Amino acid sequence: MIPGKYRSVSGRSANNVNCGLHLVIQTSSLPEKNKVEFKFNRDSPSFPGRLLQHDLERNYSSRQGDHINLVSSSMPSFPILQRSSEEKILYSDRLTLERQKLTVCPIIDGEEHLRLLNFQHNFITRIQNISNLQRLIFLDLYDNQIEEISGLSTLRSLRVLLLGKNRIKKISNLENLINLDVLDLHGNQITKIENVNHLCDLRVLNLARNLLSHVDNLNGLDSLTELNLRHNQITFVRDVDNLPSLQRLFLSFNNISSFDSVSCLADSTSLSDITFDGNPIAQESWYKHTVLQNMTQLRQLDMKRVTEEERRMASVVAKKEEEKKRESQKQSLLKEKKRLTINNVARHWDLQQRVANNATNQDRKDSASPPQDPCQTEGSTTSPFPEDTGAVDSGITSALQGLSVIDTHLVEVDGDTLSLYGSGALESLDRNWSVQTAGMITTVSFTFIEFDEIVQVLPKLKIKFPNSLHLKFKETNLVMLQQFNALAQLRRMDQLTVDPQGNPVVNFTLWKYYVLFRLSHFSMQKINGTEVTQNDMIMAERLFGILAHVASSELPQYRLISILGDARKKQFRYLLETKGKKPGIVNEENNDSKRLVGENTNRATLNYTTREFYNEKLEDIKEKKKFCKMYIEDLMKEATEVNMKNEALQKLWPQMFIELVRDAVIEIRNKNSYMKLCLQQITDQK
Amino acid sequence: MLSPERLAQPDYEYLAQRHVLTYMEDAVYQLLENREDISQYGIARFFTEYFNSVCQGTHILFREFSFIQATPHNRASFLRAFWRCFRTVGKNGDLLTMREYHCLLQLLCPDFPLELTQKAARIVLMDDAMDCLMSFSDFLFAFQIQFYYSEFLDSVAAIYQDLLLGKNPNTVIVPTSSSGLHRQRPALGEAGVPEGVEASLFYQCLENLCDRHKYSCPPLALVKEILSGVQRLTFYGFLGTLSKHPGINQALGALPDKGDLMQDPAMDEELERLLAQVPGLAPAVTATPEPGCPPSRTPPRVGSPWRPLHHPRKVDTESDGSTEETDESET
Repeated sequence: MIPGKYRSVSGRSANNVNCGLHLVIQTSSLPEKNKVEFKFNRDSPSFPGRLLQHDLERNYSSRQGDHINLVSSSMPSFPILQRSSEEKILYSDRLTLERQKLTVCPIIDGEEHLRLLNFQHNFITRIQNISNLQRLIFLDLYDNQIEEISGLSTLRSLRVLLLGKNRIKKISNLENLINLDVLDLHGNQITKIENVNHLCDLRVLNLARNLLSHVDNLNGLDSLTELNLRHNQITFVRDVDNLPSLQRLFLSFNNISSFDSVSCLADSTSLSDITFDGNPIAQESWYKHTVLQNMTQLRQLDMKRVTEEERRMASVVAKKEEEKKRESQKQSLLKEKKRLTINNVARHWDLQQRVANNATNQDRKDSASPPQDPCQTEGSTTSPFPEDTGAVDSGITSALQGLSVIDTHLVEVDGDTLSLYGSGALESLDRNWSVQTAGMITTVSFTFIEFDEIVQVLPKLKIKFPNSLHLKFKETNLVMLQQFNALAQLRRMDQLTVDPQGNPVVNFTLWKYYVLFRLSHFSMQKINGTEVTQNDMIMAERLFGILAHVASSELPQYRLISILGDARKKQFRYLLETKGKKPGIVNEENNDSKRLVGENTNRATLNYTTREFYNEKLEDIKEKKKFCKMYIEDLMKEATEVNMKNEALQKLWPQMFIELVRDAVIEIRNKNSYMKLCLQQITDQK
Repeated sequence: MLSPERLAQPDYEYLAQRHVLTYMEDAVYQLLENREDISQYGIARFFTEYFNSVCQGTHILFREFSFIQATPHNRASFLRAFWRCFRTVGKNGDLLTMREYHCLLQLLCPDFPLELTQKAARIVLMDDAMDCLMSFSDFLFAFQIQFYYSEFLDSVAAIYQDLLLGKNPNTVIVPTSSSGLHRQRPALGEAGVPEGVEASLFYQCLENLCDRHKYSCPPLALVKEILSGVQRLTFYGFLGTLSKHPGINQALGALPDKGDLMQDPAMDEELERLLAQVPGLAPAVTATPEPGCPPSRTPPRVGSPWRPLHHPRKVDTESDGSTEETDESET
């Protein structure tokens, strides 16, 4: 039987074999069984096909009534085939020896114009004895035991060679079959495609169910339209773009896992039908659209028509993937840069801290106040001697300067969070933020920035990011409870997070209560992630309520005004500095302060002045106090002088008084002379 | 008034002894600082308020350390203020570290030096394990003597050092910056050497000290009492006993007795009123003053000299004070 694959589409059942370009092999209803006769016994009309003994001796012997025409002794073992002349005339060009239990190819005598030869379903191990059939066009050896392609070198007209289901290990000995149109080698043990490059007329090549691990060496097959490679172990495919006519390629049930391994397919313009089912690649999520995107010429994929819709989707998805890839690349680059910057900032911060520690230790040693404790150098690792400290200190400052000026800070906006790393980042608050971006920010996070610097920037924050509800501090050197006072000037705060790293204040037992107390007007919801309970609020008030009371009601009037005025003045001054003296600002300030009605007034005096400002203030105070001292001294001198004079007068007065009285009495002792004296005095006066 | 002793004393000395000049200077300084505001309600009123606050001990609130340290009265007022403000912390039973106490001190005085707090902590902890937690009362009493008698204590430390080294105790001793006690600590532990110094010798030196120097010293009688009870004593042992002695506390007059430390009924009442005003976690209290009143309108109260004599005028914190007229204008 001719394998069904090669039946023509039209299904005609004509029995002729065309020798034209278009080979049509029809279904044959060859009543093959009855047509073959092995001339053993003339008497028996039909031979159902008994198994011949391969035994050499047997061949020589003749059975009862067997009539075997022995050929010349050069081929003594082969049976010779002869057909009756009627059959020869009827089916002159085809011979079917299917299921004849043949183990060897018999010698076929007198059939030189045979065009179709069918040896299906036998046990033939070698192709032999057919060299004389030089007109042969169709040779079918399907389902035999052939181990090697051979004995075909004379069959120059051969067009169809069916060698499926054999034991062939290697493609070879096809050199002369240049007219070959169909080559079927399925179901063999072929490991490599070779020796087919000369078959320029070959249209169909079937290598299914072999042991191929890769596909290449296909050049030269200029007419190949169909290549069947199903059920192999193929991992990559090459050279397919060298097949100018290839339309159908079946790669089902192989080992292809990525499109890269079959990338040559994209370059093939002729491919319209391809199958990949049963490969690992077909399980991937991106399989379909990758294939469609890369092979725009495809009409069928896995035996299903490719619709326009699918194609469109594929290109859309592919574009998206492309973009995503680009995006993720960009993202990872950005992330890397960010990480490096943060490391840089951290290093900078560490150095700064060390320098600061050295400086404070230096100060402590230099000051002449009560006995210093040399063990106070726990902050630095240097020796306590001033010279050494100085040297290390200068070393550190120069290292500090050595760090690059670029990338010493980082500003990042991530949805609703604004993250600032490094003190340089604070300047970014001056930028023109779009109202939309600024409005979306609800969380502001500060890292590696001195809290004192942050304090100075809080008014800016209030204005530019009015919706910020959550502040986060990490490595910001929060050391005193007092510093939290500075946060009171903000408009609103729902959450506060103070990371223990770099903020020693968190080690205090009372810090949370103090925050709740001082910032009670915010009605905070969470501190460091934990909800604020009513009990917390009460405890905070209980602990510090009296402080507030004392701070407000027991301060003299002028102190209250001065403290409150100080804070206002600072904010006001800041606003003036940055925005210039616009009248609008003054209004804003007033409105703002009116809005502060919400703030518990009794806490308003608890302020925080950053160390810098405080030191400035102290300097200022010193000056003023000096003046006051001088002034008072002057007053005192005056007062003591006056006092002295007073006391002296006190001492002298009795004496003086007595003297005065005595003088007066003496004067008046003589009335007459006194009257004359007085009149004289009066006239003298004129 | 015009007793002979008083008249015998030269003016400068008299003024200096009572620190009159300090307060005058400070008053003038305050005047200078706030002349715009004060000019509104008159200088006489200002001086009244100022000296009232000095009497009541509220003048040291939120002032710089140099002022707080300037006179014994200031120091005592500061101690009292600290006690009043943070008594509640003690009452709550929290044990805090030295740093945290220092933080609380800084709330009242931003530039309070760390050394003083450290020294006070050493007295409590007997110079051991400086990170230990301390109770409020222990710390407060130790801090009291450290702060109030700081110069005295420094001299005592120097004397102690010299006695340890066996130097002549009757020479003039000037505290230098190098006599850090820590260096000598290993010496105390030496085998065979009795700890500390002899009490009687120590007392003699202290007596000399108190006679010679003009800064405030604890009453000698009490010191004698302490030292007569023991043979030998260490420096911190001495200070510890000093801090816990109720007589010293009473002599200072700033703080109540240890037993009564947590009691302050007037403040407790105030606190209850404040607590009643604590809002739930709902939005902030409205601005309208309630009859239960924001504390700035506390009614006048009779009683202790530490309370304001008449209530201060309601502070208008809503404006920056300069443009609006306050309701009462006094000249």
